[in-house]
Amino acid sequence: MSDTTLLALFEDIDPAANAIEKLHEMGVTDDRISVISGVPISHKMLGRPHPWTNVSRLALGGAVAGFLFGLFLNFGTPFLYGVRVGGQALFPIPPGLILVFEMTMLFALLSTFLGVFLESYFPNYRAMEYVPQVSDGKIGIFFKAPEDEQQKFEDALNQLGAESVKTAEARQL
Amino acid sequence: MAVTSKYLSGADKPRAEHHEEEHDPRESLMYDPLPRGVMNEMVMESMHATSWKFWLVLGILVFLVATCFFYAWGYMIANGLGVAGVMRPSYWGVFLVNTVFWIGISHAGTFISAILRVFKAEFRRPFTRAAELMTTFGLIQAGASIFMHLGRVWLAYWMFPIPNERQLWPNFHSPLMWDLLAITTYVLGSTMYLFLPLIPDLAMARDRSAGWRKIFYRILALGFRGTEGEWRHLTTAMNIFAFAIIPVMFSVHTIVSWDFAMAMRPGWSSTVFGPYFVLGALHSGMGAVAIVLFLMRATMKHMDYFIRKEHFDALGKLMLIVSMAYAYFFFNDYIVQWYGGDAATDNLLHWLEAGPMAWMFFQMIGFNIVLPFLTLWNRRVRQTPWLLAIIGLLINVGMYWERYIIIPVMLTINRMPFTWKLYEPRIEIFLTIGTFSMFLLFYMIASRLIPLIPVWEVQEGQMVHSLRKVGKAHVPTVSEFE
Repeated sequence: MSDTTLLALFEDIDPAANAIEKLHEMGVTDDRISVISGVPISHKMLGRPHPWTNVSRLALGGAVAGFLFGLFLNFGTPFLYGVRVGGQALFPIPPGLILVFEMTMLFALLSTFLGVFLESYFPNYRAMEYVPQVSDGKIGIFFKAPEDEQQKFEDALNQLGAESVKTAEARQL
Repeated sequence: MAVTSKYLSGADKPRAEHHEEEHDPRESLMYDPLPRGVMNEMVMESMHATSWKFWLVLGILVFLVATCFFYAWGYMIANGLGVAGVMRPSYWGVFLVNTVFWIGISHAGTFISAILRVFKAEFRRPFTRAAELMTTFGLIQAGASIFMHLGRVWLAYWMFPIPNERQLWPNFHSPLMWDLLAITTYVLGSTMYLFLPLIPDLAMARDRSAGWRKIFYRILALGFRGTEGEWRHLTTAMNIFAFAIIPVMFSVHTIVSWDFAMAMRPGWSSTVFGPYFVLGALHSGMGAVAIVLFLMRATMKHMDYFIRKEHFDALGKLMLIVSMAYAYFFFNDYIVQWYGGDAATDNLLHWLEAGPMAWMFFQMIGFNIVLPFLTLWNRRVRQTPWLLAIIGLLINVGMYWERYIIIPVMLTINRMPFTWKLYEPRIEIFLTIGTFSMFLLFYMIASRLIPLIPVWEVQEGQMVHSLRKVGKAHVPTVSEFE
């Protein structure tokens, strides 16, 4: 029997967290559950595994790249074409610190921003499983369940306060 | 034995109850929640509702931008910088005054959004975006003013670090090149910082729009659904931005101050110019936020729910603190130069106090220091939106005069008295009107295109705030949500 994706909508965090616990009890593992919400809700509140992100690593990588680029601009370009001015150092350290700082921060910020795009697969304009009520503050729980047990899951989640439990549909956002 | 007590003041009610009436926490936005759907509708309505007055003001601004910005700048490009008033000894005139002024305005966005976010100052929530928009639009005007100052603007690419046919690189040891790098970093950083928290609200607008607006929001929302992963990446990035943009903000105006402080000129060569400029920037930025919040509340539908007296009160307190810090640095800068006894500096200071620009000097002190000190101590003043907006406006006038004094006036009174000649702006006046008009135009257009209230942040705030009954009082409590 094939699986179907169901969507349960909840008004509050507490019943949503209880529903996830119930799904675990009914044999649905975390990798078959996903949650969408209109505000960021901590994984601890919902009893979900910690979502992994590489954004901070990408930011660090960007900062290192920016630092090296700053070094190149400060020390590399005068080496490529030296403009010698009497009494002035060709490779002065204090102005170099400013340059290196700005480039480090610029690259760190750019890579953080691009990191969100990479990690979230933005932009993504394909049809996706979604309900607009989520941006009205509802919490949506998607989970995969065997098709023949759909009613059992619906009853269990309705008992826990779900506003609706229905088959999830991919839609153009 | 029972103990009875009397109220010495003769008041009917206990003082604590009277106090509670004045500061009822339930009047606060965080303790007066509405369902998210209702708040979404309010924000969407505020974007859609436009009266004929809106279109009239928009039309006037479009006309001013077309004539005072594009036509005037085109005229200056065609005829050269000779049509401007800059000449010996004031080679730096109003264009750079505008640059410094607009960079100053831009500091408010970062301060309110990043610093208050880092310190979890909850009152920031409804107006972070309004302030962030000021940063982006202010920096656009600052950038435009620098390009105006360049004169031969088509050669601007000479400053970019790209190899050319002569293999000559820009001189990165020049403070003017530091400016380019710092402002570029700040423009890009603050624009990205504006966009990231906007994504969930764009998705909200996408879900409630039709026609061209639907397409517009759909493209900008990037397919955001609010999954756990998306929130995690977004909040991590926003935290990184909040911390990283703060030193960038400080660096930008410090570097702008070094354009002046690195030169051995009377009035400029000062070691406190960096922090003095940063404080000045925050001072004008806070004032500008007060004006924007007042205009939003007065002209946009439902804004009185989101922007309340408590926000003006908090902003007024910030303005007062920044004003005190500004006064400290102003006096520090002034007294060291005055005490130094350098003849050229003495001439300059005497000229500022008793010369033809003395009115500007004393207005600057009056608006930037005396006015906030005299008014912002009072809670009623701070909580009166129109009054705070007027104070913010006058602070900005004072800060504009401050930059005017620092740039063309201080260039006038130099070590060569035979060159002294008062700077008289010419086409600069039109271009200044043009930049102000463009800033307002961008803001008005943005107010109808993007949600100025970060609804998800407001809802998040309302979810973590609650009132706890302690004895007979309701005490506000805040919990950590992460």
